[in-house]
Amino acid sequence: MFWFTFKKESSSFKYAVLLALLSFLCFFNSAAQAESTAAFRGQTGVLRISGGTAHIPVMKEVSKIIMQAYPDIQISIAGGGSGAGIKQVGEGLVDIGNSGRKPTEHEIQKYGLVLHRWAFDGVGVIVHRDNRVQALTKGQLQDIFSGRLRNWQEVGGVDKEITVFTRDEASGTRNVFWKKALAKKVITNKALVVASNGAMKAGVSHNPYAIGYVSIGYLDKSVAAVVLDGVKPSLEAVQKGEYTVVRGLYSNTKGERDGLTKSFIDFLFSQSGREIIAKKGLIPAAR
Amino acid sequence: MTKIWGKRVFSSSLLDSRFLFLAATVVGVLLTLSIFAFMVMLGLPLFSVHSLTLLLTQAWAPDQGLYGVFPFICGTCAIVSLSLLIAFPLSLGNAILIHLLAPRRLARFLHQVVKMMTGVPTVIYGFVGIFFLVPLVREWFSRGSGMCILSAALLLALLISPTMILVFLESFSAIPATHLRALEALGGTRRQKLLHVILPGARTGIITGLLLALGRALGDTMIALMVAGNATAQPESLLDSVRTLTAHIALVMAADFDSIEFKTIFACGIILYLWTAVLTLSLRCLHFNYAKSSHDQSL
Amino acid sequence: MTRVFDFLLYVFAWLCGLILVGAFGTFMVFLLTQGLPALGFDLIFGGTAIGDALLLKRVVSDGLLPAIIGTLLLIFLALVTALPFGLGAGIYLAEYAGKRSKSFFSLIFDLLAGVPSIVIGLFGFSLTIYLHKRFTFLTPCLLISALALALLVLPYLIRSTQTALEELPTTLRLTSAALGADQATTIRFVLLPQAAAGIFSGIILAIGRAAEDTAVIMLTGVVVSAGIPRSLFNSYEALPFYIYYMASQFSNQQELQQGFGAALILLSLCALLFTLAWLIRKKVTARLLYHHH
Repeated sequence: MFWFTFKKESSSFKYAVLLALLSFLCFFNSAAQAESTAAFRGQTGVLRISGGTAHIPVMKEVSKIIMQAYPDIQISIAGGGSGAGIKQVGEGLVDIGNSGRKPTEHEIQKYGLVLHRWAFDGVGVIVHRDNRVQALTKGQLQDIFSGRLRNWQEVGGVDKEITVFTRDEASGTRNVFWKKALAKKVITNKALVVASNGAMKAGVSHNPYAIGYVSIGYLDKSVAAVVLDGVKPSLEAVQKGEYTVVRGLYSNTKGERDGLTKSFIDFLFSQSGREIIAKKGLIPAAR
Repeated sequence: MTKIWGKRVFSSSLLDSRFLFLAATVVGVLLTLSIFAFMVMLGLPLFSVHSLTLLLTQAWAPDQGLYGVFPFICGTCAIVSLSLLIAFPLSLGNAILIHLLAPRRLARFLHQVVKMMTGVPTVIYGFVGIFFLVPLVREWFSRGSGMCILSAALLLALLISPTMILVFLESFSAIPATHLRALEALGGTRRQKLLHVILPGARTGIITGLLLALGRALGDTMIALMVAGNATAQPESLLDSVRTLTAHIALVMAADFDSIEFKTIFACGIILYLWTAVLTLSLRCLHFNYAKSSHDQSL
Repeated sequence: MTRVFDFLLYVFAWLCGLILVGAFGTFMVFLLTQGLPALGFDLIFGGTAIGDALLLKRVVSDGLLPAIIGTLLLIFLALVTALPFGLGAGIYLAEYAGKRSKSFFSLIFDLLAGVPSIVIGLFGFSLTIYLHKRFTFLTPCLLISALALALLVLPYLIRSTQTALEELPTTLRLTSAALGADQATTIRFVLLPQAAAGIFSGIILAIGRAAEDTAVIMLTGVVVSAGIPRSLFNSYEALPFYIYYMASQFSNQQELQQGFGAALILLSLCALLFTLAWLIRKKVTARLLYHHH
């Protein structure tokens, strides 16, 4: 009957074809997804994840797909930062502990951690969209973060005090940024401290005179990414090796695990998993 | 209270309700004390590595091996005292308005509003603070980030005022009507009523309100965590960002359990516990003395 | 001079009233204008069919439903745990304790009432970590949060029970004793019903406190995303934490709107609970009046 009505008008017919195509695509898509989530079939229980906040967008997306396909599986995601992720998985409080830095040899030994690096990521400097200063040298950056440069005027901006945002000491993002961008120079204690990548971005996007740093996966139009030593932080620049403030994103388990934990980590390395990782602005890594 | 039922020597059964009630009480007491014991127990390893004086006086810079919580004590003091400085006159004014000056209808309306305000969740104050107050403060003073002592204190003042106003009002209305009527009969003015009867009579109540509000401000986590900026430097101006002891606990929770950073939060816990305990004890003394003096007077 | 002082006092008091009402009004208007547009079924169910969501057939991943249910469960569990202890201790203090022990116990409970909620959260967290070494299934979860919250609201329950009982006239006790009732009977059948209204107001306070507290739960098991908890040992979501999370890290305008929506829902939830408890209290009082006159 629908066909009948559609046939009457050619434009409706076009729509119908388009619709059919779309639904076919959707079907195809979900079929592909179903295939990659097949490992979860018949599994039940709770999977607890915590730690690095750069991981959260991917974790949320993946768990949403799994939980919607299999309502008997419950996945809980907490932030806390890399330090918390490593510690909590080590103590057995969670099943997967994420970290935005490689766990130290000491940590790996002590807890018997197994590392799964499923993505590469860069840490980019961000300022407010309206900030005139959108390029800095590493030297200037270090001076700003150490508190030596206090006014945007000194780096070619407006005559306003610079608000520096940083992360708490347990953050993997802070750790990588401090080592690779600040060359382990001191970070001023006047810096505002936030607890996650998301909080950093939200804070900087709402303060015209702020500067901070986030996982490249978090970069979007709400903030401006700062060109560092002539290189704009982006996935391409990281891939080409031009942008050097890079790190791996790890999901750590205590020993080799099976069941839900294994299926979840396998999913991150599957085709669908890699697509989600790329969609969230990160570079998928091979096992 | 008059003794009506004497102590029974033989209890009819072990499960006599009296013992159940006593057990409930003892559980509560043990839990209260064990909070402190636990903090001390978990904080002890820290004190063996790091002397208590260093901990209380040093700056916070884990990169350089400094783990002092002194800046956070300063931050807490700054925010709490500024918020009291704002909230105390505000609350006193409101209590006077409601009790003495406003027309009955308006007074009742104000009283209702104040009661309603006590029910507003702290996190909502913080939420609105971030998106409304912080940008305003940043633009007004065109200095700093807006996440500062001032913003946090303004929000805290809004949080603690209702409690204070209610305690003030209660103590105002506890003043014997006979005193007021006596003054009226003598032709006293409203000012005399306030200055010579109400305020002196409600002195204990006013101090009680102040101490209770102080405890509330001291113990609040969310407002400071959300709008004070959490910087680890020692504050020099009202527009500086600070971290309070409570916010420090919330932030460093994420750290490695074995690290010294993590153990400092037990020090913060102990400081907060002792601080509020001192407040509670002084309230107790205040009321004890008050009861004694009013007893003496009535003799 | 007197005139000037009176005038100044007048101005000061009215100004204070204006500032307070103005500040609170601005706060409410801002919250309402920002939050009202966000309200709707989508905010709560995130596009999932309502029936499916409530029957746990489908998972609500973009809505507030798990957070709302988490908060309600927290309130319920905390209250159920705290109530027996609160009532028991309140009754003990009011009816049984001697002068000395009463003074000691109530000092301790005043202490507990003063302990900052984050310290209670820290206690819950460290106790869990401590116990986890022996009982590995025990991790920060709904149960731990509820227990910590119970400890937080305990002093409110004790205090209100105690005062409600102490405020009853001695004649009640005397009459009951004269009729041959022992103390336990008197408490159960005479004093407690009479004190119900006062006890209920303590429960109202406790509910409000448990619903709004963020510091305790953020240390003891609340997470960003978990769905509706299936057991006491699961992580969970809760409204106040959701609001905190959105405030600090919304990633787009829509999430910010959801944050405002959540704030409004929490505020209405608190208002609703208060009204409900108020109605119950009124009804209880009315029933008592009906019974005794």
